[in-house]
Amino acid sequence: MLRSSKELLLALLTCIFIAASYAVVLLFTRQIPAAGGFYGHMVGVLGFLLMLMTETLYSLRKRTRSARWGRMADWLQFHIFTGIVGSFMVLLHSSWKFNGLAGITLLLTGVIVFSGFIGRYIYTRIPRTADGIEDPGLVGIMQTTALANARRLMALWHAIHIPIGMALFIAAFAHILGALYYATLLK
Amino acid sequence: MNNSKLGCLSPFAIFSAFLAIFALLIIGVLNGNAMFSPGALHNAHADIGDDCGQCHASFWGAQTMTNLCLNCHTEIQGELGDSTTLHGTLTKGLGATCQSCHTEHAGPSTSLTVMDTSAFPHEATGFVLTGHQIRSPGVSFTCSDCHTEGISMFNQQVCAECHRSLDSVYSEKHLTAFGVDCLACHDGVDRYGDFSHSQTAFNLTGAHLRVDCSDCHVGARTIAQLQSTKRACESCHQKDDAHNGEFGAQCGVCHSPEAWKPAKFDHSLSNFPLEGKHVDVACENCHTQGYAGTPQDCFSCHRADDAHQGQYGTACETCHHPGDWKDASFDHSLSRFPLDGAHINVECAECHKDNIYKGTPIECAACHADPAYHLGLFPGQACSECHTTAAWRPAPYNGLHTFPMNHGQENNRLNTCADCHQPTLAQWTCYTCHDRAETEQKHREEGIADFDDCLRCHPTGQEDEAESRDGDKDNDD
Repeated sequence: MLRSSKELLLALLTCIFIAASYAVVLLFTRQIPAAGGFYGHMVGVLGFLLMLMTETLYSLRKRTRSARWGRMADWLQFHIFTGIVGSFMVLLHSSWKFNGLAGITLLLTGVIVFSGFIGRYIYTRIPRTADGIEDPGLVGIMQTTALANARRLMALWHAIHIPIGMALFIAAFAHILGALYYATLLK
Repeated sequence: MNNSKLGCLSPFAIFSAFLAIFALLIIGVLNGNAMFSPGALHNAHADIGDDCGQCHASFWGAQTMTNLCLNCHTEIQGELGDSTTLHGTLTKGLGATCQSCHTEHAGPSTSLTVMDTSAFPHEATGFVLTGHQIRSPGVSFTCSDCHTEGISMFNQQVCAECHRSLDSVYSEKHLTAFGVDCLACHDGVDRYGDFSHSQTAFNLTGAHLRVDCSDCHVGARTIAQLQSTKRACESCHQKDDAHNGEFGAQCGVCHSPEAWKPAKFDHSLSNFPLEGKHVDVACENCHTQGYAGTPQDCFSCHRADDAHQGQYGTACETCHHPGDWKDASFDHSLSRFPLDGAHINVECAECHKDNIYKGTPIECAACHADPAYHLGLFPGQACSECHTTAAWRPAPYNGLHTFPMNHGQENNRLNTCADCHQPTLAQWTCYTCHDRAETEQKHREEGIADFDDCLRCHPTGQEDEAESRDGDKDNDD
């Protein structure tokens, strides 16, 4: 199980650092960094990559079942860190405009982050080893109903969280293709 | 929990992905590509609506966004080939495209022009910002100081308003003189504020320092026109010419830029240098009808001063000089009666009675009456036949005279008429020289009793001619 919330602290510090860089740009240019500008593009692309990593790496690690790729607890912490920092960068990329497909993508990003926080809460209801699998000893001393409820909640959450992520990335890819076509590759 | 396969491959996930794709397709069918729009178009482009392709060219096609812009903005198309225009300069010289400066999707009323103003090559607009860096001490100019109605617009009223606040008197005068089209002359680099006219070939001095620029630079709107302003006095001062052009166009010969008056006319450079009394005479006394063509002969001015009442003609300078009328020096030798001999010392009035000079006869008799001494013996004869102007005497008689006039000259005795003709010219005697008593005695000794008429026997005064006369007498007898 997660023994501490250091990933949240790290994520907060990183977000503060990024927010500071945003403030510097804001101060020097005296205008909100445009999504298509250098800074806006940078936070957008990095944010997207972090979000992509958030979704794929943790999921892949879970399926490997091998401690050779690191402990699941650490991967979850990394998943949470990149999910928070990546979504924060995507938010800054928005230049505070929430219309169109980009707005929908940002909305889905917000939804999945919110979903992630809920999932983390449910996740901790089931005692686990450091590698993320259920701890037979601790699980055994739980009340059967409580454990069953926790397991059902976890399954339900998975059934929602992952499809939201799929919708998010479909929307994000469409947004990226549109941006490439209409702006980046525009002659 | 199913750990056997990736979560993204779960039925829910796949369904969700397909649902998302389907939703996007539906939105695309219903709204076109509007979902990709980052924001509303400007009102000026409202007609385009959701037809993204009107402006956005595909990256694999031959068209560019600039081409698509110019399809509608044909007036800009016209500027592109002309490097004197803003768009011509920006696109040709700097390789800019439309989207380098213009943006969209920022809302219906947000400016379509977004530039890096600090790096904007303002000289491309034809106006350099060299002279517009500091608005006031410590305060730099910003774009909106001049471009009050938008970055791409400029109203020259802004120039006038700002410069009025700096110097209202000068600005009003300048605007009145040159008009409100500031950019017609000013390109931002000219720095008229530091301009000194002494840098030009026409340094301003005297009264010229106080005139308005436009008084001389009439209608000038460009540097070239200002520089081509004629520098000759008459190009500006023709209307001021009190001499009506009589003195020509070289005003500077007499006048200076300090003032029209006093003027220093150097009369010695004219055809009539002033000397003597003429120096102190007021200009108007001679130049009564203007200056050009003033007659230079004395009589034109001095007709009233002619003490000779025109008798001596109009060439006063023959006798008089400008120093003093009375210091006249009449050269009688130039007249038809040159003075010589005793005439030289005769007072003028002796011949020119009553101060009348003209028409004075030159015949001797007009002044010299035939003396009683002549006894009227020389009627019609000119005095000069016998007399000279040196003196009345001697007067060598050249007329009819039977008796040799050189008689007795060998003895240096007979010189004048009176030596023989006594007491008058009508009478004569030989006894002035020949002693009467001695002559009587000798003739009596010769037996000549009738010897009173000397010339009967001695017609030429020779002594021996009487013997032949005697023979003749004897024969006659």
